[in-house]
Amino acid sequence: MRICSLFKYGLFILVTMVSCRDPFEPELSAFSTEVLVVEGFIELEGESIVRLSKTSPLQSEITGNLVSSAFISLSDGEDNRWDFVELEEGIYSLEGSFSENSTYFLHIQLRNGHTYRSEPLIPVISPEIEVLDYIRDEDGVEIFVSTRGTEAAQYFLWTFEEHWIFQPGVVSQLIYENGTVRRRSEQERIDRCWDSNLNPSIVLQNAARFEDNRILQRELVRIPNLSEKLTQRYSIEVRQMAIDQSAFDFWDILRRNSEDVGGIFSPLPSLINGNIQSLSEEVPQAIGHISMGKTSTKRIYIDLDDVFPWPVFIPEYEFCFVLNDTIPPNLVSTQFASGNLIPARDIFNQMGALLGYRASNRACTDCTLRGTNVRPEFWEDQQ
Amino acid sequence: MKRNKLLLIIIYSLVINSLFHAPSHAQVQEKISGLFPGIPFPRFTQQVTSMTDYRFYFSPDDLQDFQVNISAKDNTLSQILEAVFDQTDFKFSIDSEERVFITKHQPLDLKLAKDFFERGNSKEDLDSLNRQTDIERAYSRNKLYVIGNPSSQKEATLSGKITGIETGNPVFGAVVFERAEYRRAISNEDGYFQILLPVGRHTLFIQNLGGFIEQRQISLQGDGILDVAIEENIISLSEVTVSSDRMTNVSRPEMGVQKLNIQSMKKIPAILGEVDVIRSILTLPGVQTVGEASVGFNVRGGAADQNLILYNHSTIYNPSHLFGLFSAFNPDVVESVELYKAGIPVQYGGRLSSVLDIKANYGNNEKIRVTGGIGLLTGRLSVDGPIGERTTFSLGARSTYSDWLLQLLEENTDFNDGRASFYDLNFSMSHQLNNKNIIRVNAYNSNDNFRFDRDTTFRYENLNFNIGWTHYFNERLEAELVLGRDNYAFGIEGRDNPSNAYDFGFNIRQDFAKIHFNYDYNFRHKFNFGVQSTRYRLNPGKIQPSGLESIVVTEEVNQEHALESAFYFGDNIEISEQLTLSLGGRYVLYHFLGPNTGRFYTPGLPISSTTLSREETFNQGDVIQTYHGPEFRISGRYILNNISSIKAGYNTGRQFIHLVTNNAAIAPTDIWKLSDNNILPQWGDQISLGYYRNLKLDRYEFSVETYHRSLRNLLDFRSGSTLILNNTVEQAVVRSEGRAYGAEILLRKNTGKLNGWVSYTYSRSLLRTAKDEEAEKINNGEWYPNNFDQPHNAVLVGNYEWSKRFSTSINANYSTGRPITLPVAKFQYGGSERVFFSDRNAYRIPDYFRIDLSVNIEGNHKVRKLAHSSWSFGVYNLLGRRNPYSVFFTPVNGTLQGYQLSIFAQPIPFITYNFKI
Repeated sequence: MRICSLFKYGLFILVTMVSCRDPFEPELSAFSTEVLVVEGFIELEGESIVRLSKTSPLQSEITGNLVSSAFISLSDGEDNRWDFVELEEGIYSLEGSFSENSTYFLHIQLRNGHTYRSEPLIPVISPEIEVLDYIRDEDGVEIFVSTRGTEAAQYFLWTFEEHWIFQPGVVSQLIYENGTVRRRSEQERIDRCWDSNLNPSIVLQNAARFEDNRILQRELVRIPNLSEKLTQRYSIEVRQMAIDQSAFDFWDILRRNSEDVGGIFSPLPSLINGNIQSLSEEVPQAIGHISMGKTSTKRIYIDLDDVFPWPVFIPEYEFCFVLNDTIPPNLVSTQFASGNLIPARDIFNQMGALLGYRASNRACTDCTLRGTNVRPEFWEDQQ
Repeated sequence: MKRNKLLLIIIYSLVINSLFHAPSHAQVQEKISGLFPGIPFPRFTQQVTSMTDYRFYFSPDDLQDFQVNISAKDNTLSQILEAVFDQTDFKFSIDSEERVFITKHQPLDLKLAKDFFERGNSKEDLDSLNRQTDIERAYSRNKLYVIGNPSSQKEATLSGKITGIETGNPVFGAVVFERAEYRRAISNEDGYFQILLPVGRHTLFIQNLGGFIEQRQISLQGDGILDVAIEENIISLSEVTVSSDRMTNVSRPEMGVQKLNIQSMKKIPAILGEVDVIRSILTLPGVQTVGEASVGFNVRGGAADQNLILYNHSTIYNPSHLFGLFSAFNPDVVESVELYKAGIPVQYGGRLSSVLDIKANYGNNEKIRVTGGIGLLTGRLSVDGPIGERTTFSLGARSTYSDWLLQLLEENTDFNDGRASFYDLNFSMSHQLNNKNIIRVNAYNSNDNFRFDRDTTFRYENLNFNIGWTHYFNERLEAELVLGRDNYAFGIEGRDNPSNAYDFGFNIRQDFAKIHFNYDYNFRHKFNFGVQSTRYRLNPGKIQPSGLESIVVTEEVNQEHALESAFYFGDNIEISEQLTLSLGGRYVLYHFLGPNTGRFYTPGLPISSTTLSREETFNQGDVIQTYHGPEFRISGRYILNNISSIKAGYNTGRQFIHLVTNNAAIAPTDIWKLSDNNILPQWGDQISLGYYRNLKLDRYEFSVETYHRSLRNLLDFRSGSTLILNNTVEQAVVRSEGRAYGAEILLRKNTGKLNGWVSYTYSRSLLRTAKDEEAEKINNGEWYPNNFDQPHNAVLVGNYEWSKRFSTSINANYSTGRPITLPVAKFQYGGSERVFFSDRNAYRIPDYFRIDLSVNIEGNHKVRKLAHSSWSFGVYNLLGRRNPYSVFFTPVNGTLQGYQLSIFAQPIPFITYNFKI
């Protein structure tokens, strides 16, 4: 809450006036075990992904710590069992169709023999996303969702994926290849790329607080002014999951614990557990809350035209320009072979004869260094 | 003259004599030579006194005109007096210390009272015997006053006047009692007393209430008068204060009581030179704090909201200035501070852990006096004295002028809009309507206002007023009626930008009425009983827009109303001289009242928004929920011998108002919550046992107290709950139970140039989610340490008086670091890096250790001087140890780095000038 954070901030300043800050390295020897982390959502229809990893020590540089070669399965109360397959390290997938009226369990067995089982998973059907839209305001663009919960679906969790087109600092349609410079083909374009941001954060909302369980204009993400996301065209796909209260609490604690780590007047951190119990003795409960149900997704596009004018500032391209020297055609191989310079403009005289090329840095012209020039499968161009 | 038959004791000579009399060395009587030609008897005694060590005691009225006409040559005094008084009615007796008593009709009986040696002889303890002689020296208990003329009466009435040694004012309420027959009397407002005693030898004890005990040996022969001068004010001389403490440690029936007078507080080095009530009590065993800049204190493993802080009957909700750097009580008007850790007297209730009773003075009755002080951050001024014959007052003010210092400290920071200021005001007045009625008025106000940047201002305020009427029905029964109102409020003004400018406010108001009776039923039974009632009105929080442009939506949590009432009865029973019991009981009634919306949840299920079964609107005066139940206050003392005793106690309590915080430390912006139909009242009990012993002629006092406490219905907070502006706080809390136990060892030296105390406390305070709480099990429902669980705590307070005017003090403090929940691992989840925390409070911050030093220099003590002044200077945190207050983690280059924050990380020098006019 805003008041609290202001207060914390305030106190912190008072305290710094007379205080000192020293590094603190507690001996955490007591905590040596790695804890299993389980993340995922079981879809009633289609593909479900479960990701297994382990905690890593606080100071370590490791971030992933994925767990492979585990055996994961889903069962119902009646001896039916469906096995997951490992797609890549730590990522397990299951295709199937399940009944919304049954209760399921997720089983995990690690290579070291530790076994885990979820608490009963009761599928929750998410209502459709009613509105996914945006507002242009002085601070940028706010993307929001509106939906209407039901008696069974009151707690909502949204994840989203963003994709957008951006352009490099210097647009070039030329390519140097085998001693000559020629026009790029569509596949070779480096002047238009897609970047993406997959599941950057989670958004939670409890519909029960509102009349009719209606959630109106819940902000999901904000695109600040000058962002490259609206250079041309931007797309967001939102996945709406209806979860039960314990899952909601889990995600809420997760969020709060990350926002505020051990400040002076910050709330005491809360324990995170979830619904994956350990069946092996002496092995702690896994972190993670697996929910099951039917999600609802929706995608929208936002074009530059919709928000025009939208000046863009990309720090990486701040000092990009086309070099003044014209490289005559007979020198292209010495200049462009290394790949550090890329021909950006072809210069013709008044008669239409090629004088040479003006170049720019690769970092300024090649957008594939920051994204991909491969059009995402779902991508629809502006009508 | 009415008293001409009586032997008048010349008090002046008594006092001088008792202080300076030489030990007896006159086995052989001194010889006297000289011519005494028809001189008056008083003159004769003067001449003899000048030649010899003899001292004379006689009635000037009787012997004024008596002529001595004798010539002596190497005669003993006995021979001379025999000759002088031959054929007269006068008799004399000379005791072993060369004191000569001249009486009419019968010589003074120099034999001792029959109970005189009883106790001393029966004890073989050397300490005990030493103590007897010590007391003999101190109190001249072996002087015998013969009173009245012999008659055939079996019983005689002794009357007299008790006055103060220094002031000569009559002492009101002094107790005169006689042990063998258990007779007693109390002096009236003019200092007169009357007691009926059997004729013969007696030891009389005269005690000013709560103070010094005088003793007189009398031989009562008939009705007579004995005037006694006693120390009037227990804090008038530090030596006398010490003597009174000396008596209480072993003999007072309550246990777990710590008393500090302002004199001892002044000796404790204080931060920034300000004598500080709360910091002073932190040096006592069993009292701890979570950090240097926190508002509350913790008594015997209890939370900070379980302390009842009373300032002349006013409940003070926030006793601190500047986040707890200073306590909000002006040291010049504070008279004494009493902390009850166990054995809370029956007239107090409503808080589980302790009662801190701060007594402010009502002004002296001699002259207008101005006291003040100037320190680095604060200045204070107070005036007290009489207005007319029957009225005295005391008025105090204190304020900061601290901005310059804050700015000095800020120079190295990029922060320059901070402001912090506070003040406190107090006014107390006492008016004696007549001999039987006294009216007392108290007003108190403390205010804090601070901001750290231009945008946000915080303030909080205590505002209290009460009026009391004390009525003396007779010598044995008195009553005090007090009516008052206590207010506490805090607010935040956000002025970040005009569109979201807001005001946030919280306040609590309580109106109370209480009547308390003291009834000395007889020597064995002292009753105290009464009724009290408090009406609460609490505004849990309101946020509203400020200014026309603001779009902040007004939001307000429902106002809460409650009525807490109690009636109580206590009896102090002296079963024998050794065994005293204090039995007390309270019955408390609590009503949570409308108007409000009551929320009712499905029984048996965890309280959450999904289990809310119905809401019901209640109107003003409707009772939403009632709680009631008894509380017990039982303690006993058994005196083992003159110098040691054991005490035991058991008490229970209920608390209906809770501080709602989920911070480790208490912030001045934490809200309070009243018990309602979902939040049950806290309940606690304590069983305690102690051993008390005085050593080396009472120079040292030693005590060990152990205790065990159980607490129920404490509030802990659900993971990630929001507490501010929450209309459904019950959905954010988990019910917990607590357990605390420990031992406190105190060795105190009260007298001599070197005085002070050493204490060691072992204490644990543990919490556990209640068994039937289903909402959340913190640490899987196991016991875990409370935020303020600091098992080992040792304190040294030492004071050395180099001379009457120059003294140095040292204060050393060690305690185990408080528990903390640490991030122990990290993991990826929901697209971000997350931290995994240890079990709640599984780790501790480093231990705390600090030494402070101060030097006090008093001005000279000439009586006629414009102003008495004193200087106090010293260093806080002499070693500059960086004691961690908090530990926090913040990402640095992608990895979480831990930091410890020390608040007073360097030695902080201070200087204060105090004056008294």
